[in-house]
Amino acid sequence: MTIDFPFIWTAFKEILKAIPLTLLLTITPLAIGFLIGLLVTWIRIGKARLIRLIANFYVSFFRGTPAIMHIMIIYFGLPILINQLVHYFELPIETNKIPISLFVILALSFTAGAYFSEIIRSGIASVTTGQIEAAYTVGMNTYQVAKRIILPQALAQSIPNITNIVVGFLHTTSIAFLVSQTEITGAANIVASKNLKFLEAFIAAGIIYWLITLMIEMISHFIEKKAKSYISSAL
Amino acid sequence: MNKRAIGVKRMIEITNLKKNFGPNEVLKGINLKVNKGDIISIIGPSGSGKTTLLRCLNYLEKPDEGIITIGEVSINARKVHKKDIYTLRKKSAMVFQSYNLFQHKTALQNVMEGLIVVQKKNIKEAQEIATELLRKVGLEHKTKAFPSHLSGGQQQRVGIARALALNPEVILFDEPTSALDPELVGEVLSVIAKIAKEGKTMIIVTHELNFAREISDRIIFMDNGVIVEEGSPKEIFVEQKEERTKQFLKRMVPELDYSI
Ligand SMILES: Nc1ncnc2c1ncn2[C@@H]1O[C@H](COP(=O)(O)OP(=O)(O)OP(=O)(O)O)[C@@H](O)[C@H]1O
Ligand SMILES: [Mg+2]
Repeated sequence: MTIDFPFIWTAFKEILKAIPLTLLLTITPLAIGFLIGLLVTWIRIGKARLIRLIANFYVSFFRGTPAIMHIMIIYFGLPILINQLVHYFELPIETNKIPISLFVILALSFTAGAYFSEIIRSGIASVTTGQIEAAYTVGMNTYQVAKRIILPQALAQSIPNITNIVVGFLHTTSIAFLVSQTEITGAANIVASKNLKFLEAFIAAGIIYWLITLMIEMISHFIEKKAKSYISSAL
Repeated sequence: MNKRAIGVKRMIEITNLKKNFGPNEVLKGINLKVNKGDIISIIGPSGSGKTTLLRCLNYLEKPDEGIITIGEVSINARKVHKKDIYTLRKKSAMVFQSYNLFQHKTALQNVMEGLIVVQKKNIKEAQEIATELLRKVGLEHKTKAFPSHLSGGQQQRVGIARALALNPEVILFDEPTSALDPELVGEVLSVIAKIAKEGKTMIIVTHELNFAREISDRIIFMDNGVIVEEGSPKEIFVEQKEERTKQFLKRMVPELDYSI
């Protein structure tokens, strides 16, 4: 068996069409997950005991199980739940008409939320208490201190970690192909099966993942340099 | 001393202030009155509760008991509301031993921050005030520098400008020069002395006894959670009555021996 190099290029062009869906499945959960992460972190460092326990459990569970589980549980579980509700309230909704990508996005949002919570929390820990006290003595309230003093530094500190989960999530979207999403891996699989050229198709897919990853890293370096300009370069 | 004549305004009043850390009684019922424009220095051995007293004044530390009054704002530790604490904090500003500048903001932004966020001034006005204050502390050439690019003495002067910006009724200093290299102490002390002359009410915790003696209207000597003795610099440094004060000064400034 030989490698059909020209077909790699053919597959490459075909798979490129899957990039928008892949990015949608990557970016949307990350954006929602970021907001979940902020909220959960706020709860976890707050004083309300019960919801703090729930928040801790959420983070522990979602970080302690693979993303594919979250997708499967939501994909198979949520329709049952919705069906019950639809039945009970006699709503005009058909669960099998809900786009699968929505389930994937929802599941991955929860996954991302748990990871973001850990990242934000360690970023916050890097802000000295002295600065927080200074902000209070200046007359700021807790919300202002969080928004103006803690978060900007916590996030700047977290850029490498955030980059890691962005790249990680780009790669994680590949499992959405298991619930028949035509993202990059799904597209590669289709091209491969049609032409019975699996190796070539997956090499092409690999190159695409890699190129996107390089781009994410470039953007991240650029942002990090800007955001951290306040930290002394002369160590 | 004449400042205490009739017509002088009371600025701060602390009544029966108590603070424990677990079983450790750190403040054992402090009473203190400060008039507008007074420069008060608090001295005393390590662990005597000086920092804790200062931090109780703006509720960075919540006292267990006692009433704190600054200007017209009065808080009883037994029934505090978050809102009262915010109001009280706006009456004072603090200069910290470790400067505690906002690391992600330039010198100018550090000074502007409270003006914009708390006092809701517009950017242009805040910028003017902040620039003027940085000039006052001799840092007009460093407005755009981040704290990590400033020396300790420069950072502390930004810290002082940040405190002044809020135009507080009183400025609290907690050992403002203790973290500095000896050659940088002078520049900070001279800035503090300059502000002192302008009539700002100030409470300074310090180990710089000579400095305290020069600029203060009144010296408070604290030991073990109580105010042992207070009086004019002369009364404390030359004519002290309490044995504990004598012992402390003897340890701190052996050359004062002749006056004891
Ligand atoms: N957050 C805290 N938790 C527990 N104990 C504390 C805390 N802060 C201070 N203390 C204790 O309270 C006592 C008084 O501390 P404080 O910092 O007020 O002393 P100080 O007079 O400022 O000393 P120094 O001259 O060393 O700064 C000390 O015994 C200290 O260990
Ligand atoms: Mg202290």
